[in-house]
Amino acid sequence: MPLLDLAQRQHGWLPISALHAVADLLKMPKMRVYEVATFYTMYNREPVGKYFIQICTTTPCIVNGVGCDVILDCIQKELGIHLGETTPDGKFSLLEVECLGACVNAPMVQINDNFYEDLTVEDMTRIINDLKQDKIPKPGPQSGQGHRFSCEPKGGLTCLNTEPRGPGFGIRADL
Amino acid sequence: MLRLWPLARNCKATKALASLARCSSTGAPAKVEVFVDDKPVQVEPGTTILQACAEAGVEIPRFCYHERLSIAGNCRMCLVEVEKSPKPIASCAMPVMKGMKIKTDSEMTRKAREGVMEFLLMNHPLDCPICDQGGECDLQDQSMAFGSDRSRFTDMEHGGKRAVEDKNIGPLIKTIMTRCIHCTRCIRFASEVAGVDDLGTTGRGGDMQVGTYVEKMFKSELSGNIIDLCPVGALTAKPSAFTARPWETRRIDSVDVMDALGSNIVVNTRTNEVLRILPRTNDAVNEEWISDATRFAYDGLKRQRLTAPFVRNAAGQLEQTDWETALVKVAQKLVQVPGEKVAGVAGGLVDAEALVALKDYLNKLGSEALCTEEIFPMDGAGTDLRSNYLLNTGIQGVERADLILLVGTNPRFEAPLFNARIRKSWINNELTVAVVGTRVDLTYDYDHLGDSTKILADIAAGKHPFAQTLGKAKNPMVVVGSAALQRKDGAAIHRAVATMAQNARVQSGCGDDWKVLNVLHRVASQVAALDLGYKAGVEYIRNNPPSVLYMLGADEGALTRDQLPKDCFVIYQGHHGDRGAAMADVILPGAAYTEKDATYVNTEGRAQYTKTAVTPPMLAREDWKIIRALSEMTGNALPYDRIQDVRDRLYDVSPNLVQYGAAEDANYFKQAQELAAGISGKLEEKPLTPSLLNLKDFYMTNSIGRASQTMAKCVKAVQEMP
Amino acid sequence: MATVCRLLRNKCNFLSKNVMRAMSNETRVIDPHEEKIVESHTERDTIIVDRNEVLASITGVPEEHIKTRRVRIYMPARNSMQSGSFGLNRWRMDFDTRERWENPLMGWQSSGDPLSNMHLEFKNREDAVDFCERNGWECYVDEPIKTTIKPKSYGANFSWNKKTRVSTK
Repeated sequence: MPLLDLAQRQHGWLPISALHAVADLLKMPKMRVYEVATFYTMYNREPVGKYFIQICTTTPCIVNGVGCDVILDCIQKELGIHLGETTPDGKFSLLEVECLGACVNAPMVQINDNFYEDLTVEDMTRIINDLKQDKIPKPGPQSGQGHRFSCEPKGGLTCLNTEPRGPGFGIRADL
Repeated sequence: MLRLWPLARNCKATKALASLARCSSTGAPAKVEVFVDDKPVQVEPGTTILQACAEAGVEIPRFCYHERLSIAGNCRMCLVEVEKSPKPIASCAMPVMKGMKIKTDSEMTRKAREGVMEFLLMNHPLDCPICDQGGECDLQDQSMAFGSDRSRFTDMEHGGKRAVEDKNIGPLIKTIMTRCIHCTRCIRFASEVAGVDDLGTTGRGGDMQVGTYVEKMFKSELSGNIIDLCPVGALTAKPSAFTARPWETRRIDSVDVMDALGSNIVVNTRTNEVLRILPRTNDAVNEEWISDATRFAYDGLKRQRLTAPFVRNAAGQLEQTDWETALVKVAQKLVQVPGEKVAGVAGGLVDAEALVALKDYLNKLGSEALCTEEIFPMDGAGTDLRSNYLLNTGIQGVERADLILLVGTNPRFEAPLFNARIRKSWINNELTVAVVGTRVDLTYDYDHLGDSTKILADIAAGKHPFAQTLGKAKNPMVVVGSAALQRKDGAAIHRAVATMAQNARVQSGCGDDWKVLNVLHRVASQVAALDLGYKAGVEYIRNNPPSVLYMLGADEGALTRDQLPKDCFVIYQGHHGDRGAAMADVILPGAAYTEKDATYVNTEGRAQYTKTAVTPPMLAREDWKIIRALSEMTGNALPYDRIQDVRDRLYDVSPNLVQYGAAEDANYFKQAQELAAGISGKLEEKPLTPSLLNLKDFYMTNSIGRASQTMAKCVKAVQEMP
Repeated sequence: MATVCRLLRNKCNFLSKNVMRAMSNETRVIDPHEEKIVESHTERDTIIVDRNEVLASITGVPEEHIKTRRVRIYMPARNSMQSGSFGLNRWRMDFDTRERWENPLMGWQSSGDPLSNMHLEFKNREDAVDFCERNGWECYVDEPIKTTIKPKSYGANFSWNKKTRVSTK
């Protein structure tokens, strides 16, 4: 699997010849490589654009923040493509995926290896415009939801907000 | 706070372990008692629940589980209830435990099966009426027995049932992949038995498909077996598609003649026509598989057949006639010439009855010139000692061997099921394989010692490092292919192989019941012919030109017209208009193996018989009867009128020929060795090359295969498809 | 010594009728008190005849089909297309295959063999042999080919040092 990933990074996607090369390298039957490559959805067996946008449309992303629906509309409007399509210049591909594990910072998209979280329509437009000029915007939570650093609660900490207690706390007196 | 295990308990555990180890080291493992539906049954530990139930006579429904494949456990049909287990258990994968109480017909079990069935049928098309598997479909039967009469899957708006594109995997197997229930039996067969990892599952979830991913042919000599394995109608036989329903066919147990193994088959017939050939389980020979030639060459039985006697007229043309004319013509000729000027050649598909009839007849005429087309060295002990020309270890013996040396043979195509046995043993018993001969793909790894005959001499003389390996092995086997013995230096090769086998036998101390020397024949008739005292190879006839040549199914072109005297009168008796018939002056139409009660002896010396499944076409007749009729015409009638009388005669010549099902041991290796000392022939420089190297060579090895359209399609497909 | 002959009436239609008719004179129905036969459904259908009784001359089967026929007694092999084993645990008798010919007009197959469709099944070999002997048919018995069950384990698929490890999981 790491080899397939390497091959995918090399090509941008996985042509059959790359699968064969992996099979030869590992001295295993080609069919076994096909099995793995077709099972995992993150191996792209068809060409994708330079920037491969995967938008999460699972429940938390639908309900949190502005919701993924508007983000999706925004991307489609900006790029003029629908889900599962690639722009004619081969720069962008758009794919709808299931949960990418960033539910706290919903809605989010993954562009190549980077997560862009806490999105608003403005953020999305900016990111796409940057990418159109081949500038990679800063990954992580975007400005839309109050400049979070990571996945901390939006309204400040709700626990662990006192000093940690010293050693021996709560232990029986006779010990 | 760290807590330590109490020391005392620790000690106890060690002691208990030690005593356990002692127990297990003494004697055979004790049997475990389990209860199947309250019936106690003793099984070996490690048996699965499903096998335990089989032992108790209870059959668990299954789709993915197969006796001769690895356990997959993915169909879930074999769910049973086990007492004290909260959930039903997949019995195919679960080993038994002591005192387990298995309930195969409880409420929970039945409900589980019904549920599984409902899921399986959810995506299974309702096309049983147009499905070739209909009537012998596991899914059909089991849904009747265990399924519900209705489904809760009524979600037709959502896209309905799954549909999958059909694959093209060659001219033998028809795929209707929508019917597939993903039992993965075909994939496991391809990977484990056939050794061709071409099938697999692609995609996931509802998009999962069984196939080859890229369009390619399933290139295996055993590919037809996946048709049998498929529990539904996803894989069916292309040549016999839409010809008959299974309940309309008559099934006649028989034996195959396409190779020298004598695979057990069932011939399915209807309206005097062979519709298909299926394997019959016999652990000693073919397990449960048959090769593609065995399974699909049957359409050759309907083409190119000799359906009437022919006589060559004054213009040199073969002219159709009736039996009387033809037999009178032959008899007149035979009466004219002196007896010793008559010679006989037997081909590869001839049965023991015809062989003995021809031999008796020609002997009566005063001739000893009876040969087989296939050569076997006659020097030294030659064919006088059976141990010289049998696969002495037996096919099943491969499973006990730990080292096997293949000399000048490609068992994959010469005897596909023998090769499958070697592969099985290679997987399960850590069998080591070494090869002397051309490097070929045998579907398993082997040490390639080279292809020169010098290596044989070196091993026999103990100079080659492999000689030590051979000596150290506990149960070594040396297999020499009969292709290698066809060469001019066949005798020397046989001698070298026999010497190394005898050396290995002495050095390894494997005991008297283990035999090392093995000969793998290529044609079905050879062992019976040698048992009956035929001379192997046509050298004798070449040296003593006959006036009359009687060719009994001799189609491989060992003797050609220009090797015979100009005025030699050639009689051909056989079932196909092939090479032999083309050079004959009189043609007597005989019966093929599905059309007669006949005895065949396989390469390990196991006598088996075929049964008449269909009657010979038109005027063709059983072979021994033709010879019997002819003998009466020339005034020296053979003393048998019924098949039983012929078999009595076979018994007189060699009792093993009629001891059906059993392989008679041959045990004169030492004597053979002493006699072989006199062989003077030298090994030639030529490399050892088996006759069948590629899959395309495999399909047409005899007159039936050459007449078969299916086999021709296979050859074409192998060359053209990726 | 008397022997029991179970006639599967539905299976062998015309023969059994003949046999029944023919035997009605000579059959001794055993007194339940004498032989202590437990009255049951199957035994009520049982006819008990002497072992040496040869029925060939009275069954009405043409002599040609008694003297020249060979019967094969065997246990049917499992259909390799299916995994089920129902119906394999019994002994069957088959007659040798006789000539069939094609009708030149319609291409239909004809046969002059009235016994070609007669397949009788018996609980054990002795019954089958007995039946053939008493009907005057020459018979031979094919020993069933036994297969042994070898323990298999799911774990072998995952073994790390054996070739039984499978790549197809």
